[in-house]
This record gives sequence, structure tokens and C-alpha cells, in this order.
Amino acid sequence: MALNTLEFDCKAEAASVRLAAPVHYGVVGSGDLEVILEPCDLGGGVKVKVTTPISGFDAVWRKVVETFVNRARLADVAIDINDNNASPAVVSMRLQQALAETAA
Amino acid sequence: MKAERQWNTLERDTAQRMEAAARFIGPGKQVKVEDVVPLLEAVVRPGDKVNVEGNNQKQADFLAEALCKVDPAKIHDLHMVQSSVPLAAHLDVFEKGIAKKLDFAFGGPQSGRVAKFIREGKLELGAIHTYLELFGRYCLDLTPRVSLICAYEADREGNLYTGFNTEDTPVIVEATKFRKGIVIAQVNKIVDKLPRVDIPADWIDAVVQSPKPFFIEPLFTRDPGLVTERHILLAMMCLKGIYGEYGVKRINHGIGFLTSAIELLLPTYGEELGLKGKTCTQMVLNPHPTMIPAIESGWVEAIYCFGGELGMEDYVRARSDVFFTGPDGSLRSNRALAQTAGHYALDMFIGSTLQIDQYGNSSTATANRVAGFGGAPNMGCDAKGRRHSTDSWLKCGREVPSMNELIGDMPRGKRLVVQGMETFGEGRAPAFVDRLDAWKLAENAKLDLPPVMIYGDDVTHLVTEEGIAYLNRCANLDTRMAAIRAVAGYTEIGLRAKPEETKRLRDDGIVKTPEDLGIDPDTATRDRLAARNMRDLVDWSGGLYNPPARFRNW
Amino acid sequence: MPNWSKLQTRSFLESSARERALGLVDEGTFTELAGPFDRMSSPHLVALGEAVEFDDGVVTGVGRIGKRPVFVISQEGRFIGGAVGEVGGAKMVTTIDLAVAFAEELRAANPKIAADELPLVAISFETGGVRLHESNAGLLAHAEVMDAFQRARGKVPVVALIGSRIGCFGGMGFVAAATDVIVMSEFGRLGLTGPEVIEEEMGKDEFDASNRALVYRTTGGRHKYIMGDCNFLVDDRVAAFRAQVAELCRLPVADFEQFRRIGSAALVEKQMRLVALAAEMQPKDAYDVWRRAGNNDPAGLGDAPVDDFRKQAQRLSV
Repeated sequence: MALNTLEFDCKAEAASVRLAAPVHYGVVGSGDLEVILEPCDLGGGVKVKVTTPISGFDAVWRKVVETFVNRARLADVAIDINDNNASPAVVSMRLQQALAETAA
Repeated sequence: MKAERQWNTLERDTAQRMEAAARFIGPGKQVKVEDVVPLLEAVVRPGDKVNVEGNNQKQADFLAEALCKVDPAKIHDLHMVQSSVPLAAHLDVFEKGIAKKLDFAFGGPQSGRVAKFIREGKLELGAIHTYLELFGRYCLDLTPRVSLICAYEADREGNLYTGFNTEDTPVIVEATKFRKGIVIAQVNKIVDKLPRVDIPADWIDAVVQSPKPFFIEPLFTRDPGLVTERHILLAMMCLKGIYGEYGVKRINHGIGFLTSAIELLLPTYGEELGLKGKTCTQMVLNPHPTMIPAIESGWVEAIYCFGGELGMEDYVRARSDVFFTGPDGSLRSNRALAQTAGHYALDMFIGSTLQIDQYGNSSTATANRVAGFGGAPNMGCDAKGRRHSTDSWLKCGREVPSMNELIGDMPRGKRLVVQGMETFGEGRAPAFVDRLDAWKLAENAKLDLPPVMIYGDDVTHLVTEEGIAYLNRCANLDTRMAAIRAVAGYTEIGLRAKPEETKRLRDDGIVKTPEDLGIDPDTATRDRLAARNMRDLVDWSGGLYNPPARFRNW
Repeated sequence: MPNWSKLQTRSFLESSARERALGLVDEGTFTELAGPFDRMSSPHLVALGEAVEFDDGVVTGVGRIGKRPVFVISQEGRFIGGAVGEVGGAKMVTTIDLAVAFAEELRAANPKIAADELPLVAISFETGGVRLHESNAGLLAHAEVMDAFQRARGKVPVVALIGSRIGCFGGMGFVAAATDVIVMSEFGRLGLTGPEVIEEEMGKDEFDASNRALVYRTTGGRHKYIMGDCNFLVDDRVAAFRAQVAELCRLPVADFEQFRRIGSAALVEKQMRLVALAAEMQPKDAYDVWRRAGNNDPAGLGDAPVDDFRKQAQRLSV
């Protein structure tokens, strides 16, 4: 019963948005998560790490994060998530909010 | 020669029962607490249809418990016909062999036991109804022989004051008494003079002052502190994309945090959208505490109530322009009339559900709980008998492309029936499923039909964090299913959505994302709520709202 | 980073640990120490398969209010109920020690340094006490924080702020009581044994934990204010907590002795008089004590807007 770590890489179709500075957002409440977005030289790609007590949702995680990366056209970003059973809707929202925080 | 027929057997039977009960009934029809069980044994007969009053709010709890104490050797095989079965005692009568059959509308906390008893053969289920449907049957084939009701106060003659929580009492008493049935009331207090008479003494056969005030559940109180940003996003979409788009004036809000969020956004976001006076002007609604800011801001002209809500007594009394109150000043609620208004006179019903299938049928049933319907289906449907028109009803009907397939070129409106929920609910359970758990329940509890709260053809709008599906604008089932998929997010159903199909639906205005509606999800914050906690609601009410103890955090 | 000005108008109750920390000190002055980017999570939770947080649920850092360096510790109730574990506990202790060391350094460099230029520690509590998943380490952390308070006494004032959802319970209730001054809002709660545990141990008739009104009038800010357990009762705004801390920032450390509840023979005697009063009165409800303190309409006072409450409330004196 260790924590699960899910790691994968993805690449946005029209990757062009780079972060100026790292950002942290969110709280690991029940059904919630926190995320760190950090600029990182990845040849235009995005590196993702999810730490979560829940297993068996790898495909959904990938889909949710890829959709976010594609919509935001992110490039050269490392995404690090601590999750506590957040629903996909909450995941999308928090990722979006973290990104909005960098613009603020 | 024709045999002489007796035409008043009911009356004679009742007289006999009352004669047997006479020694327990004193002046003013009063019965002592210790005589209640023998009284019931005297007036109830095996096989009787018996009503124990109670709904999702008030309960004739003392009489319900008394019925459990009758001797099953004397009284058995009762057919319980009652709105709801939320108390343990409501099911204990089946456990003890006092009752056999149940016709009801709403399960509440005992819904797990209902399913279990059906499986074990302890309970024979007649049907699960809506409130209005069951009230209708009280007047046809399910008329109670004996009804056990509750009221706040009785006077020395036996007149009753049901006051703020009148709710189901009038319809039960009317159906029972005028078919020679027997009505026994538990009251909190016996007084010299009632604030007003809600039920006249000659419709009542016996009155007992219960040892404790009757139980009442503040079911419609939502703490604004628990409204989340997701509720707020959905609420903003509803206000802009539905309330504003259709200019809906006559509305019922189901129970839940989405509608609470909408209520709390009216004086803020609603005002920003310029919707004041254009929507939410007349409502069929319990006195929801979260409506206080909107009422205080002058949004609402009238509210008719199904029942009362604990703590709202003084507020309602002080806002008699808005609420229906008696000559004594207190609220008069009436479930049957409110449900009638809800069925025929509303332009929109909006509520949440637990599950919705790929066709848009929705249900709150889970595999092992017979939850029942309450009143939602009467409001969450298109009233086919409606003949008056309003702008929003006409607009919603005009948008239905298939209308002419059944009635040619004849114009007709349609009620807006809105289901709003997040794509994943509690514990990450997907709200969108291929097959409702209601099917499993039907199997487990041997029901004739899977209990569907709202059928897909009645749902006109579906709202999730992904967007609004305007199902009324879909020409056929294929398009409806595509529109449902398009707002189903990352559920298995949502993952089947095809991007090009979703794009077409968006172009056609059948699906609108928050972006299409001009809503930035990042602005869906709690700062927008007119009240952010219970204390704020008290302050909005000028100290008139008196929240129940469990909602006070100061 | 959240907008500082916007934070000021926010509800303290609804603010996260980081928002509270940030909003408490002057705009743009907050530097987080051992923050999320340092990724100091609990190794115990990992081993147990429980969700972790990059900051282990405690935000620590330093900022300024006026000229005064303010070392901030802020607990996050949404992460495992704010329960204190090894890493979070160590962050608390180190922050207090840093403040003390900094005070000594400043005094050594300038013996005539003004009182309002010396450090102060502000702790925003939101916790049920020890994190059961790492019980020994968590308990030890409580003792170490108390120890750090002793090292700080007379050198660096320690201010407790209580106005978040979870309140301040369990061992951290003791810890809060050992600070120099306690600031609460009416939504804050302070106690040792949490309501649910009392109900579990003593029965629903003794204490009904689902009766929030009862819970709040026994542990909430208003009651604690009348009892003298909290020194100041402020509005539920980040700005209100900040204003109270700013006012305290003007005082020299010696002046903080007057606010303490424990830590001297005289205070022990006062506590004993309170125990004697409880034995004599046998109060059945907090309102009995309010009445004893000279408040004739406790229910009305309990329901009055907090501003009126502050003006009208008579505080218990023993």
C-alpha cells in the first residue's frame, strides 16, 4: 500500500507557451490536489509526475493532463502533482488555475 | 325480490370502532399518552389501510412508534399508505408483522431497509409514487381507513393548528375523514386558543399531546460555507445560459448545492447580468434560507411553500408580501397545492441527480436503496395538461425540432427541465453511466420498473462543468446522445465524444461550453456569493432567521 | 501568488494556510522558507500509502509588518485536518528558533534597537493535534514547539491566531495556550479534546457533537473571549487579524506578559480560582458562565453581530 507514482511525457500539438517562473497551486484536501508547474528544458515537451493513493486511473490521468497541455499549448514544463482522489473535473480546474496564477 | 342492500357499512363499521375506543377518549377528544396503544388497537383492524403522516420534513413520530407497540396478534397485515418512511418505526411495523404492504413516495434514511425487507419478503411493495400521485390515489383506491397525523397545537375542542408545517395534513385528513375514516392527531401542546384553525375539530376523532414535540428535519437548509467553486461555475452557466436566455420567471429549485449557489448568486452575478425582475419572480419553493439575500434584494414577488423550514418562521412572518401566511401571520404551507402549482404552473424545474444514462434518463436510486421520488418527477416533467402560455415556455417549445412530428404545425410550449451536476460525484463516482443503478435496484427489490426520477424526453437542459447541452434543440435521439456525450467530461461516456461532432453541436448552439457562454471558469469564486456562511444569512435577514443548532458556527 | 490587497478583504476562515501567511504581513514582504518547491513531504505518509503535500501542511516563512520582522507559521486544515507530523513540526520549531536567533543577532549588533524592530512569531493554528499516522514523531513535535516557546519567552513574542475551519484542538490546544497572546474570530474554536471525541467517550447526552451551536458556545471565539482564554476577538477578515497583529507589533516583548494565561505563580493561582468557581457553580452550559460574568441575556449576546458583542460582553474575572 505504497503511494502510486505515475510518470509520463507528452507534447502539445502547437507547443509554444513557456513559463517564466515556477508556480505552485492548490491544497491536498480530500478530493483535491496541489500542482507545481516548473519551466524545464525538455525539447518542447512536457514531463508529468502524479503521486496519488489511488490506482487504476492511469489512462484518465493521461487524457486529462494531455488535454490541458494541448489547450494551453505548453512547452518545456514539468508538472508535479500530489493528488488525494481528485475527480478529473477538479484536476482540469486546478491545472487551469495554476496556469492562470502564472499570468497574474 | 331484490335483497335489501346496506349503503352505509363504512359508517357503521366506523361507529363500532369508535364505540370500542370511547373509553379512551375524553372531553375535547383528548387521549392520555398511556392510552394511545389501546386506542389504536380499538380503532385499527387487520388489513386496514393506514396512513402515518410524515414527509421529508415533519413526522407524526409519537404515533408511528405507538403503532409499533400494538399486539400483532390483534392487528396485522396493515397496508401502509403514506408519503414517506424515514423513521425506524415506519419499517419496524413490517419487522413485527403488524404491517404487510406499503405504498409510498419517499424513502429517506430507511430506504436501505425498504429494499432489504422487500427481498426478504417482509414487505410487499405496492408502488413508489410521486407525492401528487399518491395524494391522488388517497382519493381513489388507496383511501386510508385510519390516519395518524401531527399538528403543533390543538384547542379544547380538538381543532388543530398545523401552522408553518401544514404540509400534507389537509389532503390526508380530507381523504380519510370524508370517506368515514378515523383521524388521530398528535400535537405538541393543547391550548385554550389556537393562533388559527387549520383543521376543524369535527374532522378529528382523537387528539393526544405527545411527550416530545414532533420531529422535524431542516432538509432544505444549505450552509453557504459548503458551496464550492464548481457549484458556482455551474450556477453561473445556468444563470446566463438558461435563466437569462429564456427569461424564466416561475421556477422550482430542487434540493442541493447547485441551486443554493444559484440563489446566492442572484443578487451578485444575476444583477450583473441584468436579470432582476426578468427571472425568479415567482417560485414554488420551501423557505430556503439561501433565498434570503435574493428576497431582501427585491428579486422575488411570491413564494408558495410545500412545507416549512426550521428557523425561517420569524423571517417568513415578517415578509408576508412574499410568502403565503395566515391571518395569524404564520406561513401556510400545503404540499398538495404546491405540487399542483409545481406540475402545472411552473416554467422551469432545476435540480441535481446522482446518475444519468446515455439517453438522458436520470435517477437517484442506488442498487440497494429504494429512495423513492418525493415531488421531483411532477415538476421535472412536461405537464401535458397545461394550456396557458408564458414566453419562456413557448420559447423552449419552439426550439424542439421534433414537435411537429406529432402535432403538425400546431404551436406548443415546453417546460424547461434542467439537470445540473458535476461529471463525477462523491468519491469520484461518474454521474454519467451506460446503465442506471436503478435497473439493478429493480432486480434486487423486485420492482416492475427501474425507478427513474426524470425521463430523458423530459430533460431539456443538462449542465456540467463542461458546458450546457440544450437537449430540447436536438432533432432525434442520436443528436441528444451526442450532446450528452459532449458535456460528460472524462467519464466513459464523455470519452466517447468525437471532437468534430462536438464542434458541430457547438456551432449549432446545441452545446455551449463556458467559453461559448463568455464565462471564464477562473472567475467562479466564492467571493461572488451574496452570503458565504450561515452568519451572513442571519445578517441579511436582519436577525429574523434563526438557524437550527447544527448550522450555527459562532 | 494571490493578490495581496484582495486577500485583505477575504474571510480568514476560508483562506488557505498560504493565503493567511501572505496576507498577515506587509505586501510583498513574505519569503516562504522550506516551501513547496523544496518538496519536504512526510516520509511516513508515503510508507503508509497516504496522500502527501509538498509543504507537509505547514507554511513557514518571514515577512515584515512595518519595521518588525514577523516569522509566520500557518497550518493547513484541509490537509489531513492540519494534524502535526514530524516534518511540519520540525518546520514550526525551526521557525521559532530562527526568530529567537535573529532577535539575539539584532540585539548584539545594536543593543539600543527599538522594540518594534525586533522579531515576532505569529502562528495561525488550524489543527486537531497530533497526526496519528506518525504518532510518536508528531507528539514529540508538540513538545519541541512548547520547548521552543520557552526559549522565545521574554525575547520574541509569540502570537496565536485562531479562526480557521478545524479550530485548534488536541495537543495543539495546549500549545496554543502556551503562547503569549491569542487572537480569535467568532468562527475560531479552541479546546483540548475535540467535540466528537467527548461525545464518543461521554455519550451524546453529555455532549452532542452534531449540535454545532453547543460546540461553538463551548469552544468558540465568543466563549473564549468571555473566559479570558483568548485576548482579542476580531472580525473574520484577513485584514482584521493582520490589524490586531500590527497593533501588537508596536509593543515591547515585556508587555506581552500581561496577556499570558500560564507561566507564573500568580497565573497558576488565577487558574486555581477558576477551577474552584467551576466546582462551586457546576455550570450546565457555557451560558451559565456568561451570566455569572455579568451578561444578563447570554443567548441574545451569543447571537448579536460580533461588533455589538465586543461592545457589550462582560468578561469573567476571578
